Amino acid sequence: MINKFYKQYSLLLVLFMGALSCTKLDLKPTDSIDPEKAFRNIGDINRGLIGAYAAVDYTQISISSTISDEATFPTENTVGNSDAYRWLYTGSSGSVTALYSDYYRGIDRVNRTLDALDKLNFTEGDLPLANRYKGELLALRAYFHFELLRAYASSYKSGALGIPYMKTSVVGYPARDNFETVIANTKADLVAAKALIPSAFTDKTRITLLAVPAIQARVALYEQNWADAITFSTEVISGAPLATRAQFPGIWTDANDNEVIWELKRVGTTDSRAGDFYFRQTGGIVLYAPSMKLINTFARTNDVRFAAYIRYDPTRTGTKSQYLVNKYIGGTATAPGLADIKLFRTGEMYLIRAEAKADTGGDGAADLNALRAARITGYTNEIFRDKAALIDAVYTERFKELAFEGHRFYDLRRRNLPVQRLAIDAVNASGAVTLLPTQAQYALPIPASEVLINKNTVQNPNY
Amino acid sequence: MPTAAKQGHWLNVPLSQKHLQIMKICFILLFITFQAFAGKVPIEVSGRVMDEQGNPLFGATITVKGTGAATTSNANGYFVLNSVTENATLVISFSGYASKEVRAERSIGEVRLGLSAASLNEVTVTGYTNYARNKSPYASAIVSADKINHVPGLTFDQILQGRVPGMSVISSSGQPGQSASVVIRGIGSINGSSAPLYVIDGIPVEANFFQTINPGDIETAVVLKDASAKALYGSRGSNGVIVITTKKGKRGGVSVQYNSQYGFSNLSRPNFIMMNTEERLRFEEEIGVSFNRNLGPGWTYSPKNPAYASGTGAFRQRADFILDSLRGVNIDWRDMFFQKGKFQEQQVSISGGNEGLQFYTSLNYYNQEGVAKRTGLERYTLRSNLDFKANKLTGSLNLSLGYSKSSFTEGEGGTGVGTAMSAVYYALPYEYPYASDGTLVHPGNRSSYFILDLREGSQSLERLLNSSSKSDQVKAIVGGSLGYQILPSLSVSTRAGIDYRNSTDLSWINPDSYYGSRSVANTLGGRGRFDEGTRRNFNIISTTGITYANEWNSLHDIEVSGFYEYIYNDFNSFGFTGFGLDGRLIETPAAITNGSATFLPNVNGSKTKSALASFMSVARYTYNDKYTVTGSYRYDGSTKVAPVNKWHGFYSIGAIWVAKKESFLKNVDAIADLRIRASYGITASPLGADFGYLATYSASTSYGGVTGIRPLSPGNPDYDWEYVNEFNTGFDLNLFPAGRLRISADIYNRITSNMFFNQPLSATSGFGSLPLSSGEMQNRGVEFDVSGDLIKSNRLTWTVGVNAAYNKNKILYLTPLATELLDGDTRIFKVGYPYGTYYAPAWAGVDPKTGEAQYYNRDGSVTTVYNAATQNATNSGSLYPSLTGGFNSSLNWKSFSANILFSFVSDVMRWNNEDFYNENQRFATSNQTIRMLNDRWKKPGDVATLQRFDIPRNFSSKDIQDASFLRLRNLNLGYSLPAWMLLKVKHIKGVKIFVQGQNLYTWTKWRGLDPENNSVYGRFQYPNTRTYTAGLNVNL
Repeated sequence: MINKFYKQYSLLLVLFMGALSCTKLDLKPTDSIDPEKAFRNIGDINRGLIGAYAAVDYTQISISSTISDEATFPTENTVGNSDAYRWLYTGSSGSVTALYSDYYRGIDRVNRTLDALDKLNFTEGDLPLANRYKGELLALRAYFHFELLRAYASSYKSGALGIPYMKTSVVGYPARDNFETVIANTKADLVAAKALIPSAFTDKTRITLLAVPAIQARVALYEQNWADAITFSTEVISGAPLATRAQFPGIWTDANDNEVIWELKRVGTTDSRAGDFYFRQTGGIVLYAPSMKLINTFARTNDVRFAAYIRYDPTRTGTKSQYLVNKYIGGTATAPGLADIKLFRTGEMYLIRAEAKADTGGDGAADLNALRAARITGYTNEIFRDKAALIDAVYTERFKELAFEGHRFYDLRRRNLPVQRLAIDAVNASGAVTLLPTQAQYALPIPASEVLINKNTVQNPNY
Repeated sequence: MPTAAKQGHWLNVPLSQKHLQIMKICFILLFITFQAFAGKVPIEVSGRVMDEQGNPLFGATITVKGTGAATTSNANGYFVLNSVTENATLVISFSGYASKEVRAERSIGEVRLGLSAASLNEVTVTGYTNYARNKSPYASAIVSADKINHVPGLTFDQILQGRVPGMSVISSSGQPGQSASVVIRGIGSINGSSAPLYVIDGIPVEANFFQTINPGDIETAVVLKDASAKALYGSRGSNGVIVITTKKGKRGGVSVQYNSQYGFSNLSRPNFIMMNTEERLRFEEEIGVSFNRNLGPGWTYSPKNPAYASGTGAFRQRADFILDSLRGVNIDWRDMFFQKGKFQEQQVSISGGNEGLQFYTSLNYYNQEGVAKRTGLERYTLRSNLDFKANKLTGSLNLSLGYSKSSFTEGEGGTGVGTAMSAVYYALPYEYPYASDGTLVHPGNRSSYFILDLREGSQSLERLLNSSSKSDQVKAIVGGSLGYQILPSLSVSTRAGIDYRNSTDLSWINPDSYYGSRSVANTLGGRGRFDEGTRRNFNIISTTGITYANEWNSLHDIEVSGFYEYIYNDFNSFGFTGFGLDGRLIETPAAITNGSATFLPNVNGSKTKSALASFMSVARYTYNDKYTVTGSYRYDGSTKVAPVNKWHGFYSIGAIWVAKKESFLKNVDAIADLRIRASYGITASPLGADFGYLATYSASTSYGGVTGIRPLSPGNPDYDWEYVNEFNTGFDLNLFPAGRLRISADIYNRITSNMFFNQPLSATSGFGSLPLSSGEMQNRGVEFDVSGDLIKSNRLTWTVGVNAAYNKNKILYLTPLATELLDGDTRIFKVGYPYGTYYAPAWAGVDPKTGEAQYYNRDGSVTTVYNAATQNATNSGSLYPSLTGGFNSSLNWKSFSANILFSFVSDVMRWNNEDFYNENQRFATSNQTIRMLNDRWKKPGDVATLQRFDIPRNFSSKDIQDASFLRLRNLNLGYSLPAWMLLKVKHIKGVKIFVQGQNLYTWTKWRGLDPENNSVYGRFQYPNTRTYTAGLNVNL
């Protein structure tokens, strides 16, 4: 009897022991990286920096094409949404608000990497590289903030609503910094970056020592700090001359990178394709076509830019647009639309210096004529009757030279000019011909989700 | 007079008219005689015992009430009982079936025993306890085999629609094999899971993967709804538990069943009508005349077009000719993309056993074509259940193996151009896809033809014909249990089981097609694409326990159990994508080009795992069979929550009072049974992500071909369980003798606290949202189930049942930062409002004077200026239904049976996004509904449904439409061949033939494709189909 009991209880014991032995609750994820192990060494700092570069994309280009007068929404685009083209956007319209969170995400990646960099101890050998990475990170932080400022500032004046300048990675609800505060912080970061990046570093797909003054020149243009604008643009121009007419078309097929100061490298099979914004391969649909207003400004045969930027295809008939944006066609037939995105070029620097000199009474015409001569076969220098005419000509030249590069809308804002489309460019826009500076949509809206959750922020006026 | 001397002989006599006359007279005479001697003359009684499907029951006990004389039925169900007093009561019983009482007469004929609710209600199976129904305080519902088996074209979760009060079952697609969205007692979670836990024979199985499980093997499905039952499942139980028990062999002989059914499915029709060619051309002309906007040839070649008037004679002649020939084309694009889907199912099952060993084995083949071309499901399943008992040792082995092949159409539920589901409505009626030589004319070759339409239909058709999307699934559910009775009052048990699934997904794009030749990211290099990948889910559970059960003095009944349980889940996926295919090698990785930068293949995959360890105890005490209290405590440790909250206890208490047993009700005949129940407890719901609490970085980013690193999730070190506290009380009342009217009702209050909520963050933080455990939500409701036997006699029974539930959902708290936040772009999370509340500007109709669209401002004024941010309002209702239920009726008359089921969902609104595309000037170059032709504003004074054509179409309250529906879910008519017909055929014990229809009719105001869909919007989803089948059940 006792024996039997022992047998039974030992069976029970065996069962329980067997069950308990398979307790295991200390599982770790296999597919993600522990923050403690994210930045172990100089190589990881570069990875963090790469992650920040990855956040830069062609969104500014698509925004400017959608809401300025450089492109039109063709009839054949039955698959797109013309609301943004018709300036019907609000804080809920992703087409104009996505940039806000995308670029703050980039800023956060910069700040986390900077923070990790400051905490690491580097060997003597690694130190120069660490300094360069820090310089790139600071310049990138300045660039992100400045692009956000261009897009979301209520206007480009002192005291105007800017955007929060983030110097650390933090979950917070900051108020908007004023325009001039953002400019000051941007400049400070760029100055710091300049001291860290060695001149021997020349990879144009990242921020080089020459890219810093290019950013500085653009910042100075928006700040209307003409002296700085002249200084920095000159620095870039002397470092990177304009491409020749022979070289010029090759810039856009990525055959060469002459006069490119900084470009976003686009390779492989998963990178974004800027060309897809203008043309949909499946179905062969032109989503956005060059506006007639833009086309009409070009001397078609003599101007090397026309064929490089705009393709004329007479085989497209009926409601199909015969003009296509050619700028992001890409270099390979097997990956159409996959093109490097040029963020800074010497051409822009000439126009910045021309405008700065014109505004301050200098010889802006020289720079403008020099640029035209480099683009137009048989060009003869033009003489401008006054400052206004010169600035006007600089603007027209910017319209042409920098078309589809994310400038036009902001250029108009810099001088408080309305967006004025030709009627023919607005046939599918139900009368969206003019956007006046007094309208809310003249400044892009802060995302509605941001306004809802961040009680310290305010929306741009009139939304 | 052929009295019933020997089984069946009287049935064999040819029945002429004369015979019948004689029979009739004799019968009346006999009847009078028997009346006179009622209760005095002993007779020989004979009859046959069968189940509801007409299968003979072998070994049923037939007892004479009062005397105790008894016999059992033979292998064919026949029995003879001698020397029975006329009009005595016979009790016919069989294990697992409801007993039946019949009056003794010489020939009783067939007596059918059903798996009636009363019988099934005897024990409530929870997976841990098997308490008698009158000793369990649970709010639960049982659905029996006859309602689950043989329903065509649905997974078992969908079959439960309309059967269980408080359980909403809404399909997610008409794709064969697609699981439904099942919600019990309202949605209790926003970012967590709302799906119930499914347990098959003690093994938890993955939700949403039921296509390889054969509903024909299910014996019962028990739905556990209240805290006292759910708390047994602790941190996994808060959304309810569906406990499924599969069929087991019965003692006594071997029975072979063969079931077969064939049928077909049809497309159900939407409540909107697209324009035909004549209408479309007229529409294009009208728009051209009024707005000078060219939507197509109807205006280009219209005589009203100024270009026509000013054109040459040749042009005009040609224009007339073009329009004439277009009018000759009128395509209903449904004919191009939909089909009549064939259906068949075959099943053989063998079951039987003796005292020590019972077995059930079934083989099932199932083949269903979808109504959308290219879709379907083919399935093979094997189920084998073995139960044994040897002295003090009991055990079981349950095995389910299945293999299924599904085929899908692409782009279901999307509005994009180029997919089959939307092209049906976008494509123009005068677009004929083929040229006269039979070539499919698509955007790639259209320039070689004279094409006036957008080719939206042809492009989609070309894609459909040149691509494939398939998934094969292997599913194994294997479990075993052992129990040992140490002492009469003490037993130990252990159970282990595995739920294993391996899905192999394949998609292919023909390189030689237009669709495959585009140089886009989807088909890199423009030469097709081939994807293959596997998803493997492995779940193992082990439960060990000890149970003490004893009774004293027939008054005190106690049962206490302790368990230890461990669950481990492992998920693994791997896949690759290759490009540059050779068109001669179809649907195979052998076609892929390797080693080329243009056709760079892509490899992907992921792994994750989780574990749960639990200690639990369950106790029940019953006094005098009248009063029962139960309690449970479960201590769960999980890898899914933050380490500080890893272990947590879940408890429940419950009580039931069997009022019928009280002296004051004992002798009240009108009340056959009355039980009152109450329970309270706390449970939790499972977290979606395995390591959601961790802050993480990912290497899934690159720039210029170099891999980088990026923060992935902000994490939350305080991430905690989502707790649900629930109170339930209810009663079960059976009225009239034999309980002919059965009423069961419950009220409940469920509060979810610590609810997962992804609080949006300021973009400056670098993340979109922060996972918080801060929310609180309430679900309150009532539910009832009433069924009654309107007619109940030996020959005729008619039962009617109704069940319904009302649930009120309310968000009580969101985050410390906000009391309202946007939920996507059409809904809002708002404290005090139900989850799923729509947020849209209120539509104020069309201005009859100008034809402009009008909207209400929040102050009630009407404006033509649309501004969602300042006009959004919460008065458009909510996405989740508050009233759900079903009603059913079954009628059995002699050998005929008829069963009908209706299900309904009410007080539910859905965003119909189809109108936005089909009635919008922006998309007017594609086809539009006839409302755009007939009901749009055309001139001052028109009281129109739709605004003037050129006025932008904006999202407003008119897009939030009533998606309530009442659906004739199932109708089944059956006939069991009478025994005399079968006597000539040896070995066949029973044959039943039936016809049934599924989703035969739907009453709804919903304008879109199908009101029944769990998606938050109606966007060209795959509608549920109407299925008709005819079948045969043969019992050998």
